[in-house]
Amino acid sequence: MSTETTTTNETATDVDQRGLIDRLTASPFVSRLLSNRLALAGIAIIVAMVVIALYARLFLDLEVITQSQLGTNPNRAAPSLDFPFGTDGQARSLLPRVAYGAWYAMLFGTVTVAASTVLGVGLGIVAAYYSDVTDNVIMRTMDVLLAFPSLLLALALVAIFPDDLGLWRAVAALTLVYTPRFARVVRGAALTVLENEYIDATVALGAADPRVLVRHVLPNCLAPITVQSTLNFGLAIIDLAALSFLGFGAEAGTPSWGLMLSNGVSQGLLTGVWWWSFFPGFFLALTVLGFNLLGDGMRDALDPRMREAVD
Amino acid sequence: MISTRFVLKRLLLLVPVLVGVASLVFSILHLSPGDPALTIAGERASEEFVRQVEESLGLNDPIWVQYGRFLLDAAQFQFGESFIIQRNTAVREVLANKLPVTLELAIYGQLIGISLGIPLGILSAVKQDSITDHLTRIGALAGISVPIFWSGPLLILLFAQVLGWLPTSGRISVLYNVEAIRVTGLVTVDTLIAGNWEMFVSAVRHMILPASVIGVYSMALISRMMRSSMLEVIRQDYMRTARAKGQGSKITVLKHGFRNAMIPVITVIGIQFGGLLGGAVLTETVFAIGGIGTLLVEAIKVGDYPIVQGTVLTFAFLFTLVNLGVDITYSILDPRIEQ
Repeated sequence: MSTETTTTNETATDVDQRGLIDRLTASPFVSRLLSNRLALAGIAIIVAMVVIALYARLFLDLEVITQSQLGTNPNRAAPSLDFPFGTDGQARSLLPRVAYGAWYAMLFGTVTVAASTVLGVGLGIVAAYYSDVTDNVIMRTMDVLLAFPSLLLALALVAIFPDDLGLWRAVAALTLVYTPRFARVVRGAALTVLENEYIDATVALGAADPRVLVRHVLPNCLAPITVQSTLNFGLAIIDLAALSFLGFGAEAGTPSWGLMLSNGVSQGLLTGVWWWSFFPGFFLALTVLGFNLLGDGMRDALDPRMREAVD
Repeated sequence: MISTRFVLKRLLLLVPVLVGVASLVFSILHLSPGDPALTIAGERASEEFVRQVEESLGLNDPIWVQYGRFLLDAAQFQFGESFIIQRNTAVREVLANKLPVTLELAIYGQLIGISLGIPLGILSAVKQDSITDHLTRIGALAGISVPIFWSGPLLILLFAQVLGWLPTSGRISVLYNVEAIRVTGLVTVDTLIAGNWEMFVSAVRHMILPASVIGVYSMALISRMMRSSMLEVIRQDYMRTARAKGQGSKITVLKHGFRNAMIPVITVIGIQFGGLLGGAVLTETVFAIGGIGTLLVEAIKVGDYPIVQGTVLTFAFLFTLVNLGVDITYSILDPRIEQ
């Protein structure tokens, strides 16, 4: 993306010798993205969440967070100086649990998005390149998967995997649910790229199919793939939490945001214990907002027409 | 305005998708761990009885025979009887009872979403880069980022627990027996038909929070699409021509812009309906409303396979039907699409 769009007259070797940072800042896409304040806010939120997630993973003891603290801490205590987010029904302080939830959201979110991107991109590119039968088989299968409302398909798929997989079965189900979206986007983008003469040239030079696809088609489809992945990240984090919320994800006791919210609704709602729902949900919504802000900014940066004022 | 040929063609195209959908549901259930015969017979049943149940369910037949039978049954919307949740009741009957509950929620949610989302999107586009635009955009982004299972509990805590203005959960006050006046299954309609004003008010008060929670999400998606689609249309030549003719910009926007800008918005409304059905599962759980969403969750948990099959297929069927409606609406808005 960055090298093709550089408008200066440098030769290819000059471009290669410049550092990654220089190349990135020379890209109109990145500079447009960085001049968008909302996208910057999104990046800031995501960075903050990653820091919280890493801190929790490295410095918090998962066993202590998961074990009941009855007798040590006050039970169902409202937020105070000692327990900024209050304590839950087993007297566990909510602050470290919510922080650890960030780690789960980021980890499982990343795996889900990465897996569905790889699967979807592979299927999409292959469908675009080998038209006719292969294309039809792949895309009609994707159509069937797209015929289900996404959360419901995920619910049905979760049932296939054994319970003891915990959050991993939610990851597996959601990967299958998201794959068709990537396949569609990538197939569309790849079909446009395949029209280009440089593809014909590469084929004429005798390049094998995998080389054409990986070296020439894929790099030119990266822009829509990145936008789709970013927007899907937010969705993946919500859907993972939703599956845990409905009882098909994290195992009991796990400090996942969805599970904490489920507890907040089933036990905290009628007793007015607002902090069980408020804090995990706030961090969940904030993280998702961060990814949506960034994804939106990326889309705007790719499509500069949207930024011009009306005449 | 639309040819029957076009509609028929679309309907025919649905058949392979629906066969695929049914096949996927069949495979999901056959891949699932758990033995339906054992579920029905109970853990302590005799070996012989379990065999009997297996025989009666046709579980001993070759897989392709079972598959063929499943497709035939599914085509007639016949899913046998519920194993556990409502033992010995036809799945069709269970679904017929619960479906209106979910539909009512989805319809009110969608109405809120459309009636707020479209005007907000237009306003945002017409006043691009103004304070109104920024607020609407940030609001819409926040709207799609906030999960229903967070906004729901918070609204309950505020309006039901703290302020005490609205009820916490359910569809209508427990004092009333809605089943007695059931006509359509939609409580807000049935209570009106029965002419019972107090019951109607109770039903509406119960609907406000869950429908708003779903509606805000839908509003956010619709206003975003309306804005970007309107921005695209405003730049078209025919819009400039209309303005050049001396037509006021408000009339131009509404008369020429609106219809053309609606096409992508309708797609979003259609796709969004799927999200709405998923959202209904979560909303029903938060507000303790017994629709097909909560039915599905419970059926998966206890292993009531006929119910799972019936619900998942109903959801997919509804969603496909809505998408068909979207296609047909397209061709009304833009007759070129038909060709």
